Amino acid sequence: MLLSPPDRADSPAQVSFRRFPMNNILKSTKQWFQGKHLLALGILALSLVLVACDANAKQSTFGTAGPVAEKQLLLFNVLMWVMVAVFVLVEGALLYAAIRFRRRPGQPLPKQTHGNTVLELTWTIIPTILILGLGIWSVTTLFELDKPPASAAGNTLDVTVTGHQWWFEFEYPNADGNGTVITTANELRVPVGRAVEVLLQSDDVIHSFWIPKLAGKVDMVPTRNNRLWFLADETGTFYGQCAEFCGTAHAQMKFLVQVLTQEEYDAWVAGFGQTPQLSAAAQAGQQVFNGAGGCVVCHTVNGSDNPAIVAGRMQGFLNTEVGIAPGPNMTDLATRQTFAAGLIDLNRENLRVWLTNPEDIKPGNHMASRATIYQTADGRTSLTQTQVSALIEYLLSLK
Amino acid sequence: MAYASGQLPTTDVDHTYTTTGLNHRKLLMWTFLSSDCLFFGALIATYMVYRGQSLVGPYPIDIIDIPLTTISTFVLLCSSFAMVQALAATNRNDQRGIQLWLLATILMGATFIGFQIYEFNAFRMEGLKIDTNLFGTTFFTLTGFHGAHVTLGLVWLTILLIMGRKGKLGPAQSLDVEIAGLYWHFVDIVWIVIFTLLYLIGGFDAGPTAGLLIEPSLLSLPT
Amino acid sequence: MATATNVMARPASASGLWSWITTVDHKRIGILYGVTAFLFFLLAGIEAGVIRMQLAVPDNTLVSPDVFNQMFTMHATAMIFMAIMPMSSAFFNFIIPLAIGARDVAFPRLNAFSYWTFLFGALLIHFSFVVQQVPDAGWFSYANLSEKPFSSGQGIDFWALGLQVLGVASLAAAFNFVVTIINMRAPGMSLMRMPLFVWMTLVTSILLVLAFPVITVGLIELTMDRAFGTSFFNTAGGGDPILWQHLFWIFGHPEVYILILPPMGIVSEIIPTFSKKPLFGYPVMVFSGIVIGIMGWAVWSHHMFTVGLGPVANSVFTITTMLIAVPTGVKIFNWIGTMWGGSIEFKTPMLFAIGFVALFIVGGLSGVSHAVSPSDAQQQDTYYIVAHIHYVLFGGSIFGLFAGIYYWFPKITGRLMHEGLGKLNFWLMFVGMNITFFPMHFLGLNGMPRRIYTYSSDFGWDWLNLVASAGYFVLFAGIVAFLVNFFITVKNGKLAGHDPWDAPGLEWTIASPPPVYNFAKVPQVVGLDHYWLVKRRAAAEGHPITEAEAYVDPETIHMPSPSYWPIVTAFGVLVLAAGFLIEFPWPYIKFPVPIIGGIISFIGVLGWSFEPAAPEAHHGSEDHH
Ligand code: HEA
Ligand code: HEA
Ligand code: HEC
Ligand code: CUA
Ligand SMILES: [Cu+2]
Repeated sequence: MLLSPPDRADSPAQVSFRRFPMNNILKSTKQWFQGKHLLALGILALSLVLVACDANAKQSTFGTAGPVAEKQLLLFNVLMWVMVAVFVLVEGALLYAAIRFRRRPGQPLPKQTHGNTVLELTWTIIPTILILGLGIWSVTTLFELDKPPASAAGNTLDVTVTGHQWWFEFEYPNADGNGTVITTANELRVPVGRAVEVLLQSDDVIHSFWIPKLAGKVDMVPTRNNRLWFLADETGTFYGQCAEFCGTAHAQMKFLVQVLTQEEYDAWVAGFGQTPQLSAAAQAGQQVFNGAGGCVVCHTVNGSDNPAIVAGRMQGFLNTEVGIAPGPNMTDLATRQTFAAGLIDLNRENLRVWLTNPEDIKPGNHMASRATIYQTADGRTSLTQTQVSALIEYLLSLK
Repeated sequence: MAYASGQLPTTDVDHTYTTTGLNHRKLLMWTFLSSDCLFFGALIATYMVYRGQSLVGPYPIDIIDIPLTTISTFVLLCSSFAMVQALAATNRNDQRGIQLWLLATILMGATFIGFQIYEFNAFRMEGLKIDTNLFGTTFFTLTGFHGAHVTLGLVWLTILLIMGRKGKLGPAQSLDVEIAGLYWHFVDIVWIVIFTLLYLIGGFDAGPTAGLLIEPSLLSLPT
Repeated sequence: MATATNVMARPASASGLWSWITTVDHKRIGILYGVTAFLFFLLAGIEAGVIRMQLAVPDNTLVSPDVFNQMFTMHATAMIFMAIMPMSSAFFNFIIPLAIGARDVAFPRLNAFSYWTFLFGALLIHFSFVVQQVPDAGWFSYANLSEKPFSSGQGIDFWALGLQVLGVASLAAAFNFVVTIINMRAPGMSLMRMPLFVWMTLVTSILLVLAFPVITVGLIELTMDRAFGTSFFNTAGGGDPILWQHLFWIFGHPEVYILILPPMGIVSEIIPTFSKKPLFGYPVMVFSGIVIGIMGWAVWSHHMFTVGLGPVANSVFTITTMLIAVPTGVKIFNWIGTMWGGSIEFKTPMLFAIGFVALFIVGGLSGVSHAVSPSDAQQQDTYYIVAHIHYVLFGGSIFGLFAGIYYWFPKITGRLMHEGLGKLNFWLMFVGMNITFFPMHFLGLNGMPRRIYTYSSDFGWDWLNLVASAGYFVLFAGIVAFLVNFFITVKNGKLAGHDPWDAPGLEWTIASPPPVYNFAKVPQVVGLDHYWLVKRRAAAEGHPITEAEAYVDPETIHMPSPSYWPIVTAFGVLVLAAGFLIEFPWPYIKFPVPIIGGIISFIGVLGWSFEPAAPEAHHGSEDHH
C-alpha cells in the first residue's frame, strides 16, 4: 500500500500509559451478572419501581380520588403496560442480537443481506395498528372528559379560579344555589361527590391549575376562559399546584382543596364572611391593618372584592414600581390551614415571620416587593413588633 | 463499473461540474427563497390571526387607500417586466439595454418605496402608529419587512447598474443578473399576496365586531 | 476576474491564529465548530450540576430562585442551540464533503461566516452573565411572562437577540449543506447511493431552512414588543400569548428532529460498519427519515395539550403525534435487523451506537405516552417530561454524537482514541444517565412539577431526587473520562491509518487526517457502500489498492483562498443584533447601534462579493467570477 507517512497503521502503539484493565472488569462483571445475581437484580429493580410509584405522595397521580383522574390513570396504565411490553420485546431483540451475533475470532464475512420486504412491512403495520387502537381510545376519553357527564347536570358547582403571581383566587358566583357570592384564596372548598366546573382565568401571566389526585391540569391563560371539571369521591385534603412556569415564585404557587361533606360545605357557605369577634388586641391590629400597615390597599377582609378596586390594584401593579398589587382576599382567613398560597401552616410564628419579612418565606412575592412597609434597607417591615403582634391577633380572629 | 482493479475508481470532470447541472448560486437562491416564503408566511399568519382584533381605531377601513396602493402595486409589477428585459439584454450583450432596463427596474422599485413612505407617513398623521393597535402593529411589521426586502433589492440592482455602466455586465455575467432577478420577482410575488390579503380583502375590516380571540368578558383587562 | 474592484487582497497565511480566523477550509471550520460546541456542552452540563445540587435535598438554599431559573433556561438554551446543533454542524462540515467525494462545501466563505455568527451569537447570550441580566423564562420563554411588564430586565432581550444571531448561523449553514449535498456529489453518487448520514443531513438542513424563519418571526415580534411597545403578545393591547406558543412550537417540534436526525444518520453509519453488514432496508431508512421530517410539521400542538385548544384540536394532534412512532420504529427495527446475523465488534463507537438505540427507545416510548392527550394532562410540565427530554436528547442525540466522535476521530486527527478509556467513558455515561434520568419518570408521576427551585419534604420526592443528583456525578465522571481520553490521544494516540474500521464510506478512502484538497482525483462512486465494494473486489482479485495520491501532484490542486470578509460580516450581524440592547433617548432613532452593524455587514458583503477569487478556482466552488 502506498500511504502517506502520518498514516502508517502498523507503527507501534504510542500510548504511554498502562492499558486500562477494562477487559478484566468486564469479565468479572459478566460473571456477576449470571444466575442468582440476575434474579436478585430483577427483583430489586421491580421492587424499586413499586416503591417509586408512590400513590400516597401528596401530589401523586397514582393516588386518584375522582373519576377524571381515574380515567386518565387508566389510560396511562394501559399505555404504560403496552409500552413496557414493546420495551421488553425491542430491547430484548437488541440485546439478543448484540450477544448472539458478537464477532468471534476468525469469523468470515457474514451474509450480506440488504433487507426483507415482508419483515419490514410487518414492523410497519403492527405498530400502526397498535397505535391507531390506542389513539382511538385516547380520543374517546378526550371527549368523554371534556364535560361533566349528563347525569351531573343541574347538580354542579361553579367556581372561577384566577391565577395571580403567585397565588390562586377562588370565586364562587353562586355558592349555595341562592346567589351567594364568595371570594376567597388559596384554599378551595368543595362538597364531596358533586361535579365542580371550574372557569380558569389569569390576570397576569399564564398559570396552570392542577390537582393531581383529582384531575389533570388545564392552563390559566390571560386571554382565555378555559374550563375544567372534577369530582371528588372522598372527603379530605388534596394538594394543588401551579404547573406552568410563571416567574420567580412559581415553585411556591400551591393551593389546597378541602373536600367537605355537603353539610359541612353548606355550613361553611352560610357562615362565610360574618363579622368577626374582635378582642381589644385584635382591634388594635385592625387599626394597623387599615392604617399604618396599609394592608387594605391590597387585601379585602370583609366579603367579596369590589371589581373596581380589583381593577385598580391590577392597574397599580402593572404601572408602578411600588405600592399596590392584587392580594388574596382574607375574609375568614383564620379558618384556613395554610397561607402564602398553600405554602406554610397558618399559625402565630409563621405569620410573624411572614409579616416581618415575606421574603423569608417566599422569595420574590409581590407583597414584599410592593407593599410600602417592606421598602426598607433590609426588607424588614417598618412596623414595630407590637404592631405586628396586633396584626397577627387580628388576622387570627378573622373567622 | 469499469476501473482497474487495485485502484480507487476516479473520474475526470471539468471544474464547472455539478451533480444536477444547476449552478450552486442559483440553487442557493432558490433555497433562500423557500426559507423566505416561511418568513413571510409567519408574518402574514400573524396579520391574519389579528384581523379584526384591534381594540381601538383607526381600523383598516378608516385609512386603507386601495386606489393609491393599486397604483404602486402596478408599478412594482411592471418593474418585474423591466427586470426580465434587463436579463434578456444581458444575454444579448446589449449594453444600452442593460443599463436602460436596470435603471427602469430601479426607478419603479424606488417609486414603490416612495409610495410606501408616503403611505406610512399618511397613516401616522391619521393616528396609526406601530403601537397604536394590533392593526398598526401587524401592518407596519409585515409591510415594513417587505419594504426592507425591496430596498435590499434596490441596493443590489444599483450595484449591478454600476457594473453595467462600467461595461462589466454581459453574457458572462448573465447568472449574476438572473439571480438578482429571481430575488426581485419573489419580492414582487410576495407583494401580490400581501396586497390581496391586506388591501383587497382586509382593507374593509372594521373594529372588533366579528368576535375577538380574547373572550369579551376578559376585555376589562387592565391597560 | 474583477481585479479593478479589488477591495483587499486575500489573506495568505496558512498557519497560526490568523489562519484559523480567515480559514474557509471545511475541515478546519468543522473542528472549530466541534470544539466550540463541546465547550458549551461542558458549560451547560455544569449548569445542570447546579440544578441537580439545588434539588438534591428538600428545602435547599444553595441558590436563589432567580439563579435557579437562570440555570435551567441557560442550560437548555445552551444544550440545544450551542451544543447539539453546532456539534451536528461540526460533523456536517467535516464529514459531508468527504462522504460525497467533494473538495469543499459549495460556499466555503458562507461556511466560515456561519461559524463566526454562531460563535458571536453564543457569546452574546452568555454576555448576559457578565452584565447580570441573565434570561430566566425557560428555553421557550412563553409570552407574556417574557413581556416587559413581567420580565423587566434585559435577560429576555439577550435571549431573543442571541437566538436571532444563532438562527442566522444555522440558516447559513443549512443553505450551504442543501446546495452541497444536492449539487456536489461525485459522479456515480446518485441519491439512493448517498450514505444515510448524508441523507439525514439533507433532511435536517431542509428542516432548518423551513423551521428557522418561523422562530425568527416570533423573536422579531417579541423583540418589537419589548423595544417598541407593540402588542403582539401583550394582552393589554389585545395580543394573544398563545400565538407565541404556536410560532415557537411550529419551529420547536421540527427542531427536535433537527436534533435527532443527524445522530440517527451517524448511528446508521456505525452499526453497519461494526456489524460488517450493509444497512438493513436502506431505502426504507431513507424514506422513514423523510417521513419523520414531514410529519414533524403536523404535531406541534402536542406541546400545548393543556392550553385549552379544545378536544377536536387535541384529538388531531394526539393521533398525528402517535403516528410518528411508526417511521421511528422502522428505524429502530432496521438497526436491529442490521445487527442481526452480523459479526458485531464492540468498539467504542459501536457501544455508543447501541446505547443510542437502547436509550432512544425509552425516550420514544415515553414520548408516545405524552402524545395521549388525556393522560398528558397529568404529565405535562412535570419531571416525567424532563425524563423524556433527556432520554431522547442525552440518551439519543448526545450518545449519537459521542458515537460519531469516536468513529470519526481517527479520520479527523489521524489517531485512534483509547479503547479502554472509551469503554469506561461509555459505561459511566450509560449507567450515570439511567441513574440520573430514570427516577425522573417516577418523580413526575408522583406529581413533581418541572422548573421548581425547591420542594418540601412532605411531598415524597426526596430520595428519588437524591438518586438523580447522585447520578449526575457518575455522568460527570464519564465526561471527565472522555476529556482525559481526548487529551491523551489527540497527540499520542495510536496512529489510525486511513481506514481503521474497514468502513464503507468514501471518507475512508483518503488519508487521515485528509489533505486540504481531500481527494486528489475526483472519485467515481461505484455503488452504495462504495469502499466496501471496491475493497472486496480488490481482495477477490488479489490486488492491493493504491492510494489516489499517487496519481496527482497536490501542488496543482488549487483550493479557495482564506478570506477576512466572513468574520467581518459576522461581526456586523452581531453589532446589528446587540445594538438593540442599547437604547438612546432620541425621538426617531431609539436604536442607532444596529445601523452601524448593518453598515459593517454591508461592507463585509461588498468586500466578499468583489474579493478576487483564488488564482485558479477549483471545481464547483462559488469562488469564481
Ligand atoms: C431529540 C429530541 C426529541 C425527540 C426525537 C422526541 C420524540 C418524540 N416526542 Fe418529544 N420532546 C422533546 C424532544 C424530543 N422528542 C423535548 C425537548 C420536549 C420538551 C419540550 C419542553 O417542554 O421543554 C418534548 C416533549 C414532548 C411532548 C410534550 C409533552 C408535554 O409537554 O406535555 C410530547 C407529546 O406528545 C412528545 C412526544 C414525542 C413523540 C411521540 C416522539 C416520537 O418521535 C418518538 C418515537 C419513537 C418511539 C416510539 C420509539 C421507537 C419505536 C418503536 C420501538 C416502535 C414501536 C413503538 C410503538 C408501537 C409505540 N414530546
Ligand atoms: C440538549 C439536551 C440536554 C442535555 C444534554 C441535558 C443534560 C442534562 N440535563 Fe437537562 N434539560 C434540557 C436539555 C438537556 N439537558 C432541556 C431542553 C431542559 C428543559 C429546560 C426548561 O425547562 O426550560 C432541561 C432541563 C433539565 C432539568 C429540569 C430543570 C427544571 O425543570 O427545573 C434537569 C434537572 O435535573 C436537567 C438535568 C440535566 C443533567 C443532569 C444533564 C447531564 O446529562 C449533563 C451532563 C454533563 C456534564 C456532567 C458536564 C460535565 C462537565 C465537566 C466534566 C466539566 C469539566 C470542565 C472543565 C474541565 C472546564 N435538565
Ligand atoms: C402591595 C400589596 C400588599 C400589601 C400592602 C399587603 N399585602 Fe399581604 N399579600 C399581598 C400579596 C400579593 C400576597 C400573596 C403573596 C403570595 O402568596 O405570593 C399577600 C399575601 C398575604 C397573606 C397570605 C394570604 C394567603 O391567603 O395566603 C397574608 C396573611 C398577608 N398578605 C397579610 C398582609 C398584612 C397583614 C398586610 C399589612 C401589614 C399586608 N398583607 C399588606 C400583597 C400585599
Ligand atoms: Cu403560576 Cu406557575
Ligand atoms: Cu414535540
